[in-house]
Amino acid sequence: MGLRSWAAGVASGAPTPAFVVAGAGGRWAAEELFLEPRVAPTLSPRAADALIVVGYLTEGLMPAVMLAHDQIPPPRLAFQWLPDGAPDDPLAAMLPGVRVVEGGGLVEVIRDAHAGLLAGRGGGHEDAWPDVDPAPWRGIGPYGQGGKGMTGGVPYGRPLTGRADDRDGLKLDRLDVRVGPLFPAFPPGLELIVGLQGDVAQEVSVGQNPFEGALEDDVFRRALREAVPIAELEMARARSHLRWLAGALRVAGLPSLGRRVLSLAVRAKPADADRVSRLGRPLARGRGLRWLAGGVGALREDLGGPVGRAAGHVSDARSGVDEYRALGFEPVTHEGGDALARWRQRVAEAEQSLRLADAAGDATVGPPDVVEGPRGPLGAGPLLELLPDVLVGMEWGDLVTTVVSLDLDLEEAAVGAGVRA
Amino acid sequence: MVALGAALVVFLFWTGSFLALRWAGDALHPPPETAPSRVPFLGGRGPETHAWSRFHVRYYAMALVFLAFDMEMVFMYPWAVVFLEEGLTAGFEMLMFISILVLGILYGWREGAFRWA
Repeated sequence: MGLRSWAAGVASGAPTPAFVVAGAGGRWAAEELFLEPRVAPTLSPRAADALIVVGYLTEGLMPAVMLAHDQIPPPRLAFQWLPDGAPDDPLAAMLPGVRVVEGGGLVEVIRDAHAGLLAGRGGGHEDAWPDVDPAPWRGIGPYGQGGKGMTGGVPYGRPLTGRADDRDGLKLDRLDVRVGPLFPAFPPGLELIVGLQGDVAQEVSVGQNPFEGALEDDVFRRALREAVPIAELEMARARSHLRWLAGALRVAGLPSLGRRVLSLAVRAKPADADRVSRLGRPLARGRGLRWLAGGVGALREDLGGPVGRAAGHVSDARSGVDEYRALGFEPVTHEGGDALARWRQRVAEAEQSLRLADAAGDATVGPPDVVEGPRGPLGAGPLLELLPDVLVGMEWGDLVTTVVSLDLDLEEAAVGAGVRA
Repeated sequence: MVALGAALVVFLFWTGSFLALRWAGDALHPPPETAPSRVPFLGGRGPETHAWSRFHVRYYAMALVFLAFDMEMVFMYPWAVVFLEEGLTAGFEMLMFISILVLGILYGWREGAFRWA
């Protein structure tokens, strides 16, 4: 028995490290892979053996997904998972050796392929991008270390960073970094172009939204057209908030707690309000969260939805609806409008929604003029345009905390209140 | 003779370890590098500037304070030797010396000199 097969035997007992990309319509299914003990989602493709694209690829996502694919050390596996078993995705063919899995059974397919990969069978070596540098190395010297001066070359066509004023009066290098659209801490598809001086963001702009006019028809969008049960609507809202909380906990460095919240989000029943309050309240009131998010990313204007309510604005489309008033609905608000208030707001709203769902029974709500979605009234102006103003001047850690606390959804931002035809 | 034998054993052990690691590295040989795999992972886009950047050593203030206190420790060795003979006078003198340094730190702190980022 050689070293290789011995190492493969040891490695096959561990969960399959996979880089998970949420495509169009695949965000929540991708999140649920975090609950799967046999798959370990990684933060970088370099740590992964497999690429899992959940949902549909778009033209905007494609270059990044191809690069992430190539950065998984070969031999590598590539999967596209279409949980609803919908028609094929023509873009997936651009990933060499991709296997499309429809419906259930994804994990079994991955485990089989991974065991084969470790034993030396299967797995692709072919890159999606050509093996060509963006530009030739133009430095001189035996290691191409440059022309004039220490850093004189333009290696691979990438120039030296420009200099900009720093806050201590020096002029130092400012790194312009494009983070996303597959950055694991950001909502899927969000790309920020950040000018970093040290870890202070001096300039922020939002990259192009990779999603275009494609959104699954969910209960909130159905509520615009027809009467839907209040319980269903409120359960969907509670799930959305709990899923957000799970993701935010993961980014905050508490993955186990995040998994607990996520499994609660997936299995939540109306009677679970007490569980949510037991889980969420100590967290929302705890000192750790205050240290992380207190005073960070304050937005005081009335932006609608949980973000507006976290700043103390009583604006909730539900308060104008008779069916909700009959249930004794009162919007929850918080003060401050910072990331901490937004965390507390969503935990409180998740609990409130479960209680409403429990109280509502079979009651339905007719199509109101405005439907309050989990991120505010459907079709309202997205928070995306505000991002640059809010994020400039922040240190990187605060920037990530703020982006996470806004619960952005780029697919929703791309279509507003519309649905897929 | 025993010393020479021991040295030989140590030499052979480390040479053997080195060769074993080299062999293990070759046996589990990494795949060849391609152009896209050289690009750092930033979330799916490549870098726009190269990695040779002039880095701001933001901890320089802390490094200077460390050096100051390091030197102060050197002063404290002879002081500790005569401390018992001199008694409270020496204690008071050292207290004064340290207080002046601490005041400097508090001032720097207030001015934000120790902000890391």
